[in-house]
Amino acid sequence: MMRQYYYKILVIIGVIVLFTFQFYPPGKKIKRGLDLQGGLHVVLEVADARTDDKSLSDITDRALEIIRNRIDALGVAEPVIQKDGIDRIIVDLPGVGDPDKAIEIIGQTALLEFRLVSDDAELMNKAVSGDVPEGYQLLYHKEKDERGILRDTQPLLVKIEPEMTGKYIKDAYLGYDNSGFPDVNLELDNEGAALFEKVTGENVNRQLAIVLDGVVRSAPVIRERIGGGRANITGKFSVEEARNLAIVLRAGALPAKVDMIYREVVGPTLGRSNITQGLRAALYGAIFVVLFMAVYYSVFGLLANFAMAMNLLILLGFMATIKGVLTLPGIAGIALTCGMAVDANVLIYERIREELRAGKSPRASIDAGYKRAWTAIIDSNLTTIIVGIILFLLGEGAIKGFGLTLSIGIVANLFTAVFVTKAIVDLVITTRKIEKLRI
Amino acid sequence: MDIIKKTNIDFIGKRKAAYVFSLVIILAGLVFFSMRGRQNFGVDFVGGEMMNIEFSTGTDVSEIRDILGNLNIGYYSVQELGENGKSFIIKSGFGTIEKILGEFGSRYGSESFTIKGQSQVSPSMSTTLRNKALFAFIAGMIGILLYITIRFEFRFAVGATLAIFHDMLFVLAILAITRKQIDATVIAAFLTIAGFSVNDTVVIFDRIRENIRKHRGDDYTAVFNNSINETLSRTILTGLSTIVVVLCLFFLGGETLHVFSLSLLIGFIIGTYSSVFIATSILIDWHKVQPHKFNV
Repeated sequence: MMRQYYYKILVIIGVIVLFTFQFYPPGKKIKRGLDLQGGLHVVLEVADARTDDKSLSDITDRALEIIRNRIDALGVAEPVIQKDGIDRIIVDLPGVGDPDKAIEIIGQTALLEFRLVSDDAELMNKAVSGDVPEGYQLLYHKEKDERGILRDTQPLLVKIEPEMTGKYIKDAYLGYDNSGFPDVNLELDNEGAALFEKVTGENVNRQLAIVLDGVVRSAPVIRERIGGGRANITGKFSVEEARNLAIVLRAGALPAKVDMIYREVVGPTLGRSNITQGLRAALYGAIFVVLFMAVYYSVFGLLANFAMAMNLLILLGFMATIKGVLTLPGIAGIALTCGMAVDANVLIYERIREELRAGKSPRASIDAGYKRAWTAIIDSNLTTIIVGIILFLLGEGAIKGFGLTLSIGIVANLFTAVFVTKAIVDLVITTRKIEKLRI
Repeated sequence: MDIIKKTNIDFIGKRKAAYVFSLVIILAGLVFFSMRGRQNFGVDFVGGEMMNIEFSTGTDVSEIRDILGNLNIGYYSVQELGENGKSFIIKSGFGTIEKILGEFGSRYGSESFTIKGQSQVSPSMSTTLRNKALFAFIAGMIGILLYITIRFEFRFAVGATLAIFHDMLFVLAILAITRKQIDATVIAAFLTIAGFSVNDTVVIFDRIRENIRKHRGDDYTAVFNNSINETLSRTILTGLSTIVVVLCLFFLGGETLHVFSLSLLIGFIIGTYSSVFIATSILIDWHKVQPHKFNV
């Protein structure tokens, strides 16, 4: 009989050691969600009405790979990029320093085209007055003004059919032109180099517009035939812009138009204040419950508090083990778990008191209390865990995190409230003769 | 210490008063709710932009409202955080944020404010989020209904589920009356309230099950009343300790958790109340209309 109790105590100590090891040090082991450390969460939708589900799904896969390349080039720690359904892409960038830049780089379609500019002055005049000739398009050469806003400047009449697109780009990187202004250097593959040589050779002294996503970024005049597959894009870029453009060009163009349909940005200061406020609230709540239990149930209250602390330890250790993400509602879920952890003990203790009032001995009251409270504990906890699991499976982001902590908390709760406290109580009342229960 | 002694209160006898109280609040809430329309919902569920912006120098709500009003951007709302006229939560239609920030930039200078947090939800995404939340809720309800039917019986499952609906509507009513907005975290709160409420109800049902098996009589009103009284000390203790935890979240949890913890606070109070007055009373009234031998 006694050996069985010692065996149970060993299990309890083992669990404590295991989970302490799992989650210590908490700062490193527990992953924090977007709301607790700041960062970016976006959902993108591929908009391509021409295709069926199958090819839409393929396009989404390609877009996802391209976006992954671009994000890798940004150098964000632990990005999460995943497909959602057939036409959506979810991107999570926790702790990203400059969310605006990330948004810009993710969303750029980056269709780069080299298109010839008409050198016919008469056609040009007609186009400006509204009569655009067949096969041509009036595009504006956009430049940034001193406040950094893109503004239309002089119009250019360019051919709709591009001479060449950005798909031949082998590499793209930041460089500087002869006057020291930043530009983007392109290296073309063999096919591209040949094509570019042909285009430049046939159109010496004409303007070749470099069109990015339908905007003329630069329209240099072709001075001579350019061989060797090297080209530059100039266009009043800042160093930052030239570098970003190079990233986009290097990673390739998105295969279709991509809309950003959801975007959530949490600044690092908001993230920090969320975590401090959330933890402080949870801490005060826990302190109240601990004091209350100790006062109301004396020794048994302390036992319930031990069970609650162990519950918390298992919860955090488990979160660390499965690399679950702690969110702000997740902290709320932990606080609630503490509240519900004591509920199981309240059920048991109130039942023990009832049995004592009915005139049973301390030993018999404890046994009956645990036994009779059991159905209430299991049924109430299992109905709650149904909600927790559904939130985890069907929810997103913060809600998912909440469902996770709630579910783990309830499992831990069943273990600590029923197994742990019972083992300790059994050990004590078996080793010592108890005349009167202090409960 | 033992504050709550054995009680003998006729809870079932007071059910008519409870029905009236609940109906009045819920109906009032529905009136407010239908009057507010899309204002009931945060950007998660109707689409739009929300940003948490902080100015380095003080301005004030009415000035911000004037600026937004002159922009012709349609719907917007401004809420001040704190009282120094620096921090605001601004909500507006989808795709309007560039225009707003551009205007702030030319009015105050682009260095004079920082965006602490921002979310932008397109109408198609908000439909997805709304459907997912609704789906999660319905799935949760079905799960609870099934579990209680298996462990107790169908009428108990209906009683518990109706009590949950009562709690949801009650919280929804209070949120509408106090002009709060429903977003994704509020849905998490709703599901927690459902979990808490059913937890409370199941503990009372568990005692009813035990007493029905013991007495085998059919004076259900007496059995129900006894069961509620016998579990009353636990109901109050657990209710109070969880409510205090939620009070801490409400007062200390910060702006992000405000509506979430408010919903939980109301929900836990009402969840406790409905377990005692609504879930059990429905079973008694159902029995009166259509006599039934509980087989648990």
